[in-house]
Amino acid sequence: MTVELGNFSPEERAAQEERLRKVWQTPKGIRYWTSVNNSEIGLWYGVTAFVFMLFAGLLGLLMRVQLAVPENDFISAELFNQAFTLHGTVMMFLFAVPIFEAVAIFLLPSMLGARELPFPRLSAFGFWSFLIGGIFVCGSIFFNAAPNAGWFMYPPLATDKQYSGIGADIWLLGLSFIEVASIAAAVEIIVGIMKCRAPGMRINLMPMFAWYLLIVAGMILFAFPPLIAGDILFEMERMFDWPFFDVRRGGDPLLWQHLFWIFGHPEVYIIFLPAIALMAMIVPTFSQRPIVGYSWIVLAAVGTGFLSFGLWVHHMFTTGLPQISLAFFSAASEAVAIPTGVQIFVFIATMLAGRVIFSVPMLFGTGGLIIFVIGGLTGVMVALVPFDWQAHDTYFVVAHLHYVLIGGMLFPVVAGIYYYFPFVTGKKLSDAWGKVAFWLMFAGFNIAFFPMHFSGLRGMPRRVFTYPENIGWDWFNLVSTIGAFVFAAGIATFVVDILRPKPEPKERNLNPWNSGTLEWTNDPSESWGMRSVPIITSRYPLWDQPDLQADIEAGRYYLPDARSGKRETLVTSVLDAEPIQCLRVGGVSHVTIIAATALGGVFIALTFHWWITTVICAVITFAAIIIWLWTGTAPIPEAPETDVGLGLKLPIYVSGPASVGWWAMFITMVGDGTAFASLIFGYFFYWTIHDDFAVAAGPGVFWPMVALVLFVIAWGLTLLTRELNERWPLGARVALVAAFLATVAASLAGLAGPYMYGMDPTSHVYPAIVWIVAIWTVAHGAVGAIMQAYCLARSLAGLMTAEYDQDIRNVALYWHFMGVTAVVTFAVIGLFPLVAS
Amino acid sequence: MKSFIPKEVETLWTLFTAPTVWALHFVVCYATVAVFCAKRLPASFTFDDVRVVLVVVTLLALAMIVLSAFLAWRQWGFGSGDPPHDEPTREDRRYFQGFATLLLSGLSFAAVAYAAIPLIFIAECQP
Amino acid sequence: MFSRPAAAATNGSGRMNNDRLTGACRPIRSEKNCGPPAFQSRCRRFIRPFISSLLSCPFLIACSGVQSTLDPAGREAADVAALFLAMLAGAVVIWAGVAGLLFYAARQKRGHSEKGAGQLILWGGAIFPTVVLAALLSYTVWLMPNVRPWFQGEEGRMRIEVTGEQFWWRVRYLEEGGNVAFETANEVRLPIGERVVFSLKTPDVIHSFWIPVLGGKMDMIPGRENRLTLLAEKPGTYRGVCAEFCGASHALMAFTVHAVEKPAFETWMTARRASSGAQDAEGLALFLKHGCSACHAISGTEAQGRIGPDLTAFGERGSVAAGTLPNLEEHIARFIRDPDRIKPKVLMPHFSMLPEAETDRIAAYLKGLK
Repeated sequence: MTVELGNFSPEERAAQEERLRKVWQTPKGIRYWTSVNNSEIGLWYGVTAFVFMLFAGLLGLLMRVQLAVPENDFISAELFNQAFTLHGTVMMFLFAVPIFEAVAIFLLPSMLGARELPFPRLSAFGFWSFLIGGIFVCGSIFFNAAPNAGWFMYPPLATDKQYSGIGADIWLLGLSFIEVASIAAAVEIIVGIMKCRAPGMRINLMPMFAWYLLIVAGMILFAFPPLIAGDILFEMERMFDWPFFDVRRGGDPLLWQHLFWIFGHPEVYIIFLPAIALMAMIVPTFSQRPIVGYSWIVLAAVGTGFLSFGLWVHHMFTTGLPQISLAFFSAASEAVAIPTGVQIFVFIATMLAGRVIFSVPMLFGTGGLIIFVIGGLTGVMVALVPFDWQAHDTYFVVAHLHYVLIGGMLFPVVAGIYYYFPFVTGKKLSDAWGKVAFWLMFAGFNIAFFPMHFSGLRGMPRRVFTYPENIGWDWFNLVSTIGAFVFAAGIATFVVDILRPKPEPKERNLNPWNSGTLEWTNDPSESWGMRSVPIITSRYPLWDQPDLQADIEAGRYYLPDARSGKRETLVTSVLDAEPIQCLRVGGVSHVTIIAATALGGVFIALTFHWWITTVICAVITFAAIIIWLWTGTAPIPEAPETDVGLGLKLPIYVSGPASVGWWAMFITMVGDGTAFASLIFGYFFYWTIHDDFAVAAGPGVFWPMVALVLFVIAWGLTLLTRELNERWPLGARVALVAAFLATVAASLAGLAGPYMYGMDPTSHVYPAIVWIVAIWTVAHGAVGAIMQAYCLARSLAGLMTAEYDQDIRNVALYWHFMGVTAVVTFAVIGLFPLVAS
Repeated sequence: MKSFIPKEVETLWTLFTAPTVWALHFVVCYATVAVFCAKRLPASFTFDDVRVVLVVVTLLALAMIVLSAFLAWRQWGFGSGDPPHDEPTREDRRYFQGFATLLLSGLSFAAVAYAAIPLIFIAECQP
Repeated sequence: MFSRPAAAATNGSGRMNNDRLTGACRPIRSEKNCGPPAFQSRCRRFIRPFISSLLSCPFLIACSGVQSTLDPAGREAADVAALFLAMLAGAVVIWAGVAGLLFYAARQKRGHSEKGAGQLILWGGAIFPTVVLAALLSYTVWLMPNVRPWFQGEEGRMRIEVTGEQFWWRVRYLEEGGNVAFETANEVRLPIGERVVFSLKTPDVIHSFWIPVLGGKMDMIPGRENRLTLLAEKPGTYRGVCAEFCGASHALMAFTVHAVEKPAFETWMTARRASSGAQDAEGLALFLKHGCSACHAISGTEAQGRIGPDLTAFGERGSVAAGTLPNLEEHIARFIRDPDRIKPKVLMPHFSMLPEAETDRIAAYLKGLK
């Protein structure tokens, strides 16, 4: 790609900068919180997640004090059970996953050479959802109402209202809310990485961080939805007594374990991979050379991403499943160690081939690896079935998981914070404080967790609030407690280093570590991200493209100006990153806060069964989202094309697969489809455990078939609308009305089957699962109908035309998924009973 | 023979071929034994029959992975151009894709082979 | 807050009673030898000191306790302990190798060739683990049906049905035909040298049945009946626990395991079948009068309650309240008065309204049951 770079006089540049600054400026005062800029959202996200981590860490210390000596009565059994439940829940859901979302939102645009991620308002919505949900879940412990059945929430203990009070509801609803935020982040990250890279940044030149994040976001799409499906079943049992996990009425607690761990194990890698991604940025910088084995890293990330979905039963090795099933999962659990090994050797090889400058980020990074290797080796052990029969649910596993998560995640994240601190603030953290923090953390961690291997092998089970004297655990526990406090002292040192006032650096140095990747061209004092979007020809552009920094700052590349007064970024092609669109992204908005708060209100009100509040909040959420979509998406631009600089003109509006909105819909619906598949898995799971499943009175054949046919008709009409819209708008509107009516009729017919046959969902699991599958589909039908009405309104308002048809194209895409969902649902509930009997 | 081999396609999705084969193989193995051990379906089958079926499935999966590896090797220009494949050219991008896909085929091959080990040693639905 | 048990025994005013678990292991401590005499005495002498506990015992199989997987008394536990030690040796070597390499890579200044480094990834990161893991996986998959063999029918097998309940264990010895020979609680006695089949059930929440010295655990799941076979090889008294979180007092749900020679086991079975609680008429009368029999059964008497633990031959048991307190009259009396204080959220109601003399008398009666 040889193009003539732009050349501007200083006056022109100043004018450009003025316009850019105005467009990208962060509001002041109270309106600061309506900001949607990735650097603000990323920072808030990160800080919030970190605070939750400190809170959960304190709960951990509380537990260690209680377990310091045998038969201690420092805290009650009830408080201990709440503490360990919340410790696990908060660390997993409110720290480990969100911190990576934070880092991704913060770093990705700069790393990829984009001004902003494609859906900044979605990121803001995700953040506010996370904050509200997180405070709700954490706050519960101060009212003695925290969940207390373990972070895994196994029924029937967790479904027992006498035991768990509203704690379980808080867990289920609070976390469902946060899962929504995670899926929103996944959409943002995938589309950002695939479509918003700087021109020339082909996939073989992408920073490794982006590779990892791409895989992780993909994993979220397949890992979180099964848990959402599980949450729905669980909450239906708690709220309306539908017996999904109640064995007296045909339910089975094991279904929850399956759904939970289908989520739970990939979750571990969702946490681990982004931290390793930070390492993959740090190691080359301090080895002063490009990474050795770029393709191996891709192998490791993709391989881990896939294999991690074949591990979930290794949390269920003692549930009495057939040995052959256990062995399959053991095999996959061993196989996943291979890409992990590759990962570590890539770092070693890079260090070997370079000359390492050893500084604090490297200290935390390599220290973390040394710890992680121990966790990996014990992971290989516990993945072997006979050993796990002994080690499962003991302190050996507690040791193992902390070695993996703290070595593989916390240490690299701290390394990342030391590394990227100048990127955020323009100032470095202290080397001296960093070294003290490291050694305290490293020593404290090992003193705390290494003995747990042995207390576990000596028979100490997990989740005990006390233990007897003289059966060989006393000293191990005391040592662990001492270590925990040393570890906490290390973290405190680190926090102080972050918070203490730091002097202004003497000279402006944007790239203090001499890194090679693009993000280091950003000036933290400006909120526009890239001054101009460069053309990339290397994996380490700052090392290999000599004048890059100066050219970017002189605005010699793409989008040096903001004449339109709108926030703009480039969209490029997936493989070779050729510019294809100038995308306008959403700016400052309060609609996201309103939508998130109202949605939070829905979940919180549901917890307390305040039905009216629930309905009011739901209506507000709905209205806010419609306003958001109506005003913020697919606006018709003032001109079809715009000049992005360097003599290139790009379209502003694209629709169909070329647009980011289409991809967002596609990705969201993949996640949605996974949740649906989980419900269908539940249907067949119940079939395998019951001889008479689907033999009892079902929804009949007639109504499900009517619903199926009507949904297919509505699907067809929606596609017809898309085609007609291009040549005959009036016909398209008529088709939309017909499609809407067909959808409404199909939804009613979908519920008619179970209703007409008097299926009582509280009587047995069979009617309950039929109802839930039908309701799922009908709810999607309702959303589909709203989308059709929305398109009709857009068309009538002149916002959707033959040329500007993004709305109907995205809705048509939704309807592909909708159609498949409906066909599967009604074929299963209508026809499978015939096969089964 | 030539007609069996798909044409070269320009997409990121090919990267995921071999792991997807692993995933399908895994699901088939798991679902087959789960249904067989819970429902004794198909009724005329013994456990040994199930093992034989799954061994055949395993061989098919391995064959598909080998095919994917071959295609990847072709994309890598039959090994022309060693890594690191970091030039800003379409050629190097293709070589990178080919090489990475080849590596993933290797990993998937090992993972499928691992999943076949239980079929050798376990002869019953025992819990 | 770190009140030591000795001091707490006298005050007893804490929210929970601190001597609750004191010596729970003492009455149930292992009677077996740990290793040859010389080694044994060395072990005894050093059992308390910190260093021995931390450094020597973890790496030695012997003397790590009545609940230790590293101190096996059964076939499965022995195989797994051997497997662990082998893996531990391998893990130490691999870890030292990786850590050494990392250290060297961080310190070296010459900068090795990229090609060589790439070869290291291929051989060290990919091929070596693939081969080692394949071997390890094959061995353990082969081991699975060997340590937990499959019995098509249970004819001629010793069978014990154990039901996990919040927070205790109902133990039923089954006859050949599957009928219940008799029921007991929180104690499992089994003959050595013979595979015993455990049927594991629960009426409430998920529990997990685990005797670390004999073998791995198996969950008890509502609506399912799981099987576990264990083969004890060394006689002794051990401890088993619930390994799955089951509610407030999950930590206080243990049981005693007696592995005995076959003849002694047969003798015990015969004696146990014939035991009766009718000898002490006065104690029994109080027991019945206060309604204990609504929940508890004592064979040979009118007490036939099935809700709580069967108390036949209670005096022989190692502990009170499922491995929580040593079986002494005072502990029994205290438990009757206020069970929730010793075991949070236990289902048994408190009897603090009874005159102290009567609770003491009932405790004495129970302690006297043989």
